[in-house]
Order: sequence, then C-alpha cells, then structure tokens
Amino acid sequence: MLKLKLFAVTLAAAVSISTQAAEISEEVINNSFHPYKNGVPSYPGLSVGMTIDQSNVDQFKEILDPAMYQFIKAGDTSITVGETTSFDLHQSYVDATRKYSAGVTLGAGNGELSETVAGRPFPEEPSLDDPRAGEKLAWNFKYGYNWGDSAAIKPFYWVMRNMDSGKKERTLKFNFNFLNYTHRTTQEPLPKITPNPSNLFRGTYAMVLEPFDVKNTQLLIHRFEDDTKLDNAYLYLGFQRRVRRLSSGQTTDAFLGTDLMIEDFEGYNGRVSDMQWKFLGTKNILLPFYNHNDLTSFDTEIHQNDEDGFQMVAYGGKGGCFPEVSYQLRKVYVLESSPIDKSHPISKRLHFIDAQTFTMPRNVLYDRKGDMWKSFTIGQAHPDHHLAINKGSGVSIDDAVTMIDIQANHCTTAQFKGIVDPSLSPLDKFTVQNMRTSGS
Amino acid sequence: MSKLITVQRKPLSLVLSALTLTMANGVSAADSNLEVFAENASYYRDEVGLSKFRNTLQLEFESKFSSNLFRSISVNAIIRGTYDGVYDMNDDEFGEDVTYQYLGEDWHSSDVSSPVILTPGVAVPCENDTLLCHNLDGYMDQDSNDIRYPDFNDSYDFIRELYVTADTVVGGDDILSFRLGKQQVVWGKTDLFRVLDVINPVDYSRHNIYDELEDIRIPQWMLKVDWRMGANKVFDDSNFQLVWNFDEFRPSNLGTCGQSYRILDAGCFFSSYVNASYLNAVLGSMGLPALYAGNVPIIHDVEEPDWNLSNTQVGLKWEGVYGDATFSLNALTYRQQLPSLHFRPFAEGLPIPAADGVFDIVFPRVNLLGGAIDYYSMAADAVWRVEFAYTEGEELARDTDGHKETEMARYVIGLDKNLVIPALGTQSAFLISVQLFGEHILDFEKDMPNEEDNWIATMLFKGFYINNRLSPQIILAHDVGGKATAIAPSISYLSGNHWLFNLGLNIKTGGDETFPWTVAGGASVTEPLSRFTNGPIGVANNEDEVQLTIRYSF
Repeated sequence: MLKLKLFAVTLAAAVSISTQAAEISEEVINNSFHPYKNGVPSYPGLSVGMTIDQSNVDQFKEILDPAMYQFIKAGDTSITVGETTSFDLHQSYVDATRKYSAGVTLGAGNGELSETVAGRPFPEEPSLDDPRAGEKLAWNFKYGYNWGDSAAIKPFYWVMRNMDSGKKERTLKFNFNFLNYTHRTTQEPLPKITPNPSNLFRGTYAMVLEPFDVKNTQLLIHRFEDDTKLDNAYLYLGFQRRVRRLSSGQTTDAFLGTDLMIEDFEGYNGRVSDMQWKFLGTKNILLPFYNHNDLTSFDTEIHQNDEDGFQMVAYGGKGGCFPEVSYQLRKVYVLESSPIDKSHPISKRLHFIDAQTFTMPRNVLYDRKGDMWKSFTIGQAHPDHHLAINKGSGVSIDDAVTMIDIQANHCTTAQFKGIVDPSLSPLDKFTVQNMRTSGS
Repeated sequence: MSKLITVQRKPLSLVLSALTLTMANGVSAADSNLEVFAENASYYRDEVGLSKFRNTLQLEFESKFSSNLFRSISVNAIIRGTYDGVYDMNDDEFGEDVTYQYLGEDWHSSDVSSPVILTPGVAVPCENDTLLCHNLDGYMDQDSNDIRYPDFNDSYDFIRELYVTADTVVGGDDILSFRLGKQQVVWGKTDLFRVLDVINPVDYSRHNIYDELEDIRIPQWMLKVDWRMGANKVFDDSNFQLVWNFDEFRPSNLGTCGQSYRILDAGCFFSSYVNASYLNAVLGSMGLPALYAGNVPIIHDVEEPDWNLSNTQVGLKWEGVYGDATFSLNALTYRQQLPSLHFRPFAEGLPIPAADGVFDIVFPRVNLLGGAIDYYSMAADAVWRVEFAYTEGEELARDTDGHKETEMARYVIGLDKNLVIPALGTQSAFLISVQLFGEHILDFEKDMPNEEDNWIATMLFKGFYINNRLSPQIILAHDVGGKATAIAPSISYLSGNHWLFNLGLNIKTGGDETFPWTVAGGASVTEPLSRFTNGPIGVANNEDEVQLTIRYSF
C-alpha cells in the first residue's frame, strides 16, 4: 500500500514538473532571448553611422536616457550610432531557462524566491499591470548569464579623473575573477559545485597589482543563495600580510575612493531585498553595445605589449570620462530601484536593462533630494568580436565603464580585458587560503 | 656576529638548490616585475631634536614561471637598504659619542638606584667598551655602522625576503603549496601587539612598536607547506600548515644603547654596570670584606642557541571557514624572543653577583598552543575577533633569583566595523577597530615586575577623503598596568600614483611606575625593574614626536 502511495506521489510530481515545463513556450523563449529575430528597432531620423551631438540631440531625446541626453546637450560628449545586433546568450543558459524556470515564483516578501536551479527565472515579458514585475526583473538580473559560469578580467584598469581638468588623479590596476557556485549552465560541474556547505551563489576575487601603495591587496566576496544574508567579505592587505574579515553591510562605501559604491558594481550589486523595485515600462533606448575589434580608437597608453594584441577602449569627451564606443538602439526595460533604508545616500536608481542580455549598460542615480547625481555606463562588447577565446561564449562582455559624479564633476573610468576561460578561475582561487598563499 | 655567517649560507644554498632542481625540470620564466620605492622618514622629538632621518630604498621583485612539475611557481625577493642619518646629524643625542648622566636618563629622573647602584648605560658598547662588546657578542653588539646601516650586517638583512613558492595539485582537488626561503609567516589577527604572530622575531629598534609589523619582523629562513583541502561537507575552506623555521635562532632586536629607539631602554640596562663601591658597601653592612675590585657588568654572556636540528622551530596550524566564522588552531615550539636574565651568584647561595657579570642572557624554549576565530555578525554588521595563546617555558624577570619560568596566557578580543558616516563629509566608510589585549601570568610571584593580569586597549579610527587620497587616522593605546597611553594622530596624502606623504604626531604619557628592589633595601625605585612595569609605552614617555614620511614609488 505504501509503495502504491509513493508511486502515486512520484507520478503526480512528474506530471507536475512536465506540466510546468510545458508552460515555457518557445514564443516566450524567443521573445526573451531573441528579441531581434524578426527585425531590429528603428527611430525616425536615426541611421547607422550617424553622430548624435549637441546640434541634433533634441531630436533623439526619446531614445536617450536622461543623463546621456543631458551630457550630449551640454556638449560633454557625442555618440555614434551602430547597427543593432543580436547578443545571443549561450544556448545552455537558454536551455536551462526552458528546463528550470517554469515553476519559479516570488515568495511572500521582497527578496524571497522559490527554489531555482539555473537560467532566467522569469522569461515572460514584464507587464505594467504586474505590481511585482520590478522584483522579477531584479531576479532576472541577479541570475543573469552575466560573465557566464566563470571569467576573469585581467587586467582591469580604473582611472580616477577630474572632469573639469581632465587630469588623471590615480590609476588602479586589478585582476578580477568571478565564479558561480550555483546556477551553472556551461562549465562542468552542472548546475552547481559541490560540496558547498554554506550554499554560496557567487564568488568574486580581486587582486590589486598597482599602484605600489595598495599592491597585493586582495578582496574576496562570497554571495549566498539566500538573498537575505549579507555577503561574507575578506580583505588581505599587502602590508599586513593577513586576511581580515570585513563587515559587508556598508555597500554604499566608495570603493577604494573611486566614484563607485560597492553597491554600484555591474549596475546593482546588493540584495534584491534592499530595494523596492518598480517596472516603469519597455522602451527602445540607445545603449553602448558594440564590437570591440571594430572600434576605431584605442587607449595605447594605459596598456601596452599585450600578449594577445588586445587593446583597451579609448576615452574622450569632457574630462576623458566617456568611452569612445558606438551605441545601438535596443529593447530596454526601465527599472527603478529605491532603497528601503531611508538613510541610504541615494533616493533611487534608474536602470536601463538590456532586454536580451539582462545587463545594465546605463544607470542613473539620484541623490536624497531627488536631483540627478551620477551616471553609470557599462559598455557591452560582443564576444565574437573580442578576444578569440571569448568567441562563442555567449557572454555580453563588460568592456568599458564610466561612473560620472555629475555634481562633483569627477569620474572613474574602467577598462577591461575580459576573458571567459575557466582555467583562470579555478575553485581554489575563491578561498580564504588562496589569499594568504597569493599574498607575498 | 661573525659566527652567523657560515650558518646563513646553509639556508641560502637550500633555496638555490630548490631553484636549480625546479629549473632542471622543465621550468621556464613567464613574467616578472620589479617595484621600487625610496622613502625618507624624518622624526623630531620634543626637547631632543631630530630622532630619525631614515632613508630607505626598497626593491620588490617577483618572477613567475611555468613548470611541468608544478601548477605555479614563483620567486620573490625584497631587498632593502637603509641609512639613518640621525647618528650623524644629531650626534649630541644619539650614537656612539653620547654619554648619559645616569641609567634611564631618557625616561625618568634620577633616584637612589641610579647612579648610586648602577652606572649609566654605555652607548654603542662595541665602539666604547671592549668588555661589554665581548659580553654582548651576538646580541647587542652593533657597531656604529650597524646602527647607521641596519640592513647591512653579518646576517645579510638587506635581503629582507627571498623565497620560492610552488603549488601542485594532489589527490584530485587538493593543493599542496610550498614556500621555501627567507620569509615572514604571519599567524593571528591582531594589530600592534602580538599573540600568535610570534614566528618571526621583531626589530623594535626601527621605531619601537609603531611601525607596521611587515617592516619590523625579522624574516627567517623557513619552509612553509600548506595542504589546501578546500571545501568539504562541513567547512567552506580548510587548510593545514606546517612551518619549519630552520634558521639560526635570532632574538628580537630591542635596540642598542645610544640608538634613538630602544624598547624598555633594555639596551642601556644591558650595557651598564653595578657599582663596585655599592656592592662592597653591601658586603660591609653584612660584616663581610670587600670582594669587588671593579664595577660588575650587568651582562656576562649571551647564550645563543647553536644551530642544530633540535634547535630549529616548528609550527602547525589548522584553519578553516565555517559559515560566518573563520578559525585557526595553532601549535608552535619556538624560543623566547625576549631575553631572560639568569642571575650568576658570586658563590652558590650568595645573593651577590659574580664579579665578572650579574646575568647571563638566555632564550628558553617555549611551547605554544593557541587559536583564533573571527565572526561576522550580520546583526551588528561588524566582525568580532578573538585570539588566544597559552605558552609554557617562558621566563619572566623577578627581583629575587633573576627569573622564573611560568606558564602564560594571552588573549585579544577585537571588534572591527566599517561605517559610512555622511555627517563627516565623505562617502567612504570609516574603519573603526578596537582591541583589548590581556595577559595572565599563571605562576605569578609578587617580586615579578609585572601585573598578574594586565590589559592593553587599542583603538583605530581611520577615514578617507578626496577619493581616498587623503586619509586621517588616530590610534590610541592604553596600558592599564603601566598607566601609560600613546596617542598617534596622523594624516596621509597620496599625490598621483607615486608620492605618499604622511604627517603624524606620536604622544605618550606614563612612565611613573616604580618597583621595589630589595637590594636597594626595599625602596620603591625606578631602576632597573620598573622598565617592565611601565611597559613599552611608559618607558617611551619622553619620546613625543612629530613625524613626517615621504615616499616615492617608481
């Protein structure tokens, strides 16, 4: 009798799973991952190769985010329009979405989610009628394909600049590594690494190479699957030669004195539960998407004699704060995040999420008074037109960053050599002991 | 110090042999880098004048190799050359030509014990007193060039570090990591004072306790092996470490008499004499004839352990990460790095010293068991640190019998918090760190010049402005038993990627504690034992300084 009951329960579960799996239609998959399959967006007067500058920006105000419009209107920069191209994510991520996302639901409270395995949790088109659509987009971002299962940025230059004078005040050189413990779709083991007793979601490891005063500083951040938990963060200071535990709650800390808060990384680097999320609609917006190898100017000064012949993105415009890349008209979800903590230094962020890749290439931050404060750009390079090793990786590669403090006339730019190569990010690199061993 | 030369070559040849072995097994150079900085540290001491004019050139070299045998292999070296011009620029106060009116002149007023009982310390004894130089051979026997150019000595200290590191994968996912050569091995989690961080001795003559430990640890020739086991079903990370310090034993450098920094003023005590007239008077009061023809040197000999296998030092550590806590368990057999003074009686049972020296300096074998844990409290968004060490074999000074072996317990509780305080005008988080060090003497005797239980509290408050290029901080340290406090505010400024300026004050109070010396009839006096009761902060009570450091990184 017991066996019969067990069989019935198992059968019911199997039926349930297959039913859920059937809920993700190919139409939803195509709409979510291949939005340009049936054509690319257009806008009156906009053409590939044209430049939008101070003279014609008003014509295109509708397809620019408010900060970019303001910069161009002021003559701080201009942008070149490129052809809209598909940035296809890796097929394994699409397949994982098809396989695992059917039954994913939000929990009762903000920051709660039913168990997920891999893939985009909510591939359906967001609706303004759904009061929790913003939360779903936030989860899609958190579990986005991002850098894939692991990647390295090696090297990674950060330059702090005075926007008025253009003076480069300080240059930091890092290596960064990323590893997903869970939600893995491409690199074995799948879909998660075991053992993983604390149920870590993601590891981020950074080592400072230059300048001398902070050389050998290492940072290790462990993010948990449980969104309500704060990260575990460890710091190795070269001059102390030991690992210190960090309190990680201060995510509004200006990272190493740059214009970025830790919370700003990748567009948003906090807990889903720390923000109230509001979906503001779907628009076509100009975003910095491009083919790195097709760029016409590079920064030949900051990075030289690269073993792969790779060159860093050049910066220009006012103060040298703007990456010299082209922009594509792309489908965008406009998402507003407002801190739940009312002592937070910002009142809100506007995230312009690329609907296909779920990256956040444009972000605008507002201060407590509601005035525009900062503008954050993350240039996205197509993996098939970048380093040879990145071809076919399906990773929309973060390639050039600028965070502009509009009120202080100051910016921090970052130039990446992003490499999707699992051999550069072995599991042991994301351990506390690795920090001790790597520190000289 | 010439006897060091031959044994120092042994470890160097070991490292070279290791390099040769690896080179012969399919190793080729991949990438290398060299970093260089030059630094001047000029300190001005109240009522004394220039107390430091240290000029440093430091080269840091790293070369990584590809290898068929190892997953990774690298060679690191740090070369440091230092010249301290204070001994030429302020030779009225420091260096071989200085004379003192009485022992402890730099930190207390004269009392019955000095100069009636003890003579003033002899500055740089190897330039001024052949007997003292002989007696202190191998320990505080620096000559004038040694204190001007402290890195260029018989121990080749200009080679700060030179080691080869190699990793290899074993048993699937585990990694065996080797580091062989002259190096620093850092245990524990505390700042300023050491509980578990005792593998390397320390050079306090550079700037007392106030320089970064990285710059004042004395690197040793060691083999460090880490078995990195990674995560398992219980721990997020797990590691087992073996440290074998096969270098010849070196004690901590307390500073020679005449140097501008000499912790506890020990250097001058060790280069002083007991007045023969005083000793003969004591004998006379006992109805005995005068036995002392001349003053008696405080130190008769330094018993440095010879190099042999049984005199090497070994440590074991198991550490890991469990949830929100990281921990370590540590065991170490080593030698006490501070000197223990063994009294030499004139004759068996007599409480008067031998005519050729009062004490021998020895460095006893010590066994340590300890551990550390830090825990991130999400509720407080702060990190708690606890570290403890239990030792057996340490020897402490005491009034009668000179010393006593005792078990010791040391511990520290610390709290670190990063806090963004917008009201203070910056979006960068302030670092707030407080620590309480405790020390308990398990076999305490009343004639020990220490508290049975003593505590030192420290606080660091550090902020960052102008994109972290301007950083003010204040460090406070208070020795409860010594009733002494150090206050060290400073501000550093980074200009571009090359220049670093640091301007600071270093103010101390205290130094007023006395301790009865029964030889002096039980009077509560300053010399020689109250240097222990006042501690490193109190004994430096007259070393208030303005300090400017300028560094250029190439």
